[in-house]
Amino acid sequence: MNDTEITQLWTRLEPNGRQRARIENRVFEWVEASETSLLAEWLNLIKVDPLPGLGFAAMATVSLLMLTPLGWVATSVLR
Amino acid sequence: MAAVLTLPFAPAQTWTLAGFFKALSSRLGGDAEPLDEPTIQRLVERARTGDRDAAQRLYRQNVDRVFRTVRGMLRSDAEAEDVTQDAMLAVLTSLDRYSPRSDARFAAWVASVAANTARRRFRRRRPELTETGELPDVPDEQAQPEHEIDTARERAALLRALSELAPAEREIVSLRYGAELNASEIAKLVKLEPANVRKILERTRERLGARIETLLKREGTIK
Repeated sequence: MNDTEITQLWTRLEPNGRQRARIENRVFEWVEASETSLLAEWLNLIKVDPLPGLGFAAMATVSLLMLTPLGWVATSVLR
Repeated sequence: MAAVLTLPFAPAQTWTLAGFFKALSSRLGGDAEPLDEPTIQRLVERARTGDRDAAQRLYRQNVDRVFRTVRGMLRSDAEAEDVTQDAMLAVLTSLDRYSPRSDARFAAWVASVAANTARRRFRRRRPELTETGELPDVPDEQAQPEHEIDTARERAALLRALSELAPAEREIVSLRYGAELNASEIAKLVKLEPANVRKILERTRERLGARIETLLKREGTIK
């Protein structure tokens, strides 16, 4: 077999339609997610579903405010 | 001679089967028309500024090539799918790190990202999987037309022959025939001299070709 024949044979390893679709969906979902800021995600959540969205936002804020100092305290105690 | 497909709803128009599948492949994700290097560089510039269409065109130019490169290096379709996904994501999100030089094609940079992703995957693999590997798909002869059976047999023979090569040889032939890189481009990626890469390629091509022919003769695909 020569170079051209092997190159041609190698095209048998190309992905099929389903594999292509799966790869493309996952890649562009990630790209989209990495391009969207956290703030935009939250605002979108509140726009789509205002009450639970605000609830989640409030819970997340409280958790961040509470857990961060607690984490520092726990880390310094464990040391 | 190319097979011709006549569409009943458009009698004046005839398509070659190859053209039809090319168009279909393009719709499904792979880019049928290869672009020249200056056009690719312009797409890279546009994609860096957040142009989604340019990023998608770069993706479609490279995704099939990346898949067939890493498929040659790895032992299963599932692994190749994961690695292609990771590599294409790395390409699209690190375009800022790509610095075009006069002697470096964008495709070579993409191939280096793909090869590094595949190598990391290979290192992470459990030892028992490395030793046994996954056997190539066996074509289902009752469910497929004859040309598809031949295609599946050829694919299986190539995968079987590849599985008998050392990992370094698999990587070099995959970069040559999957990514379509030349010996100098491969040499930079695998940190060998171009002359050594040429020697390995020649030796491996002979072994690979002979093994594939034996396997296909046994299957009755070639006489």
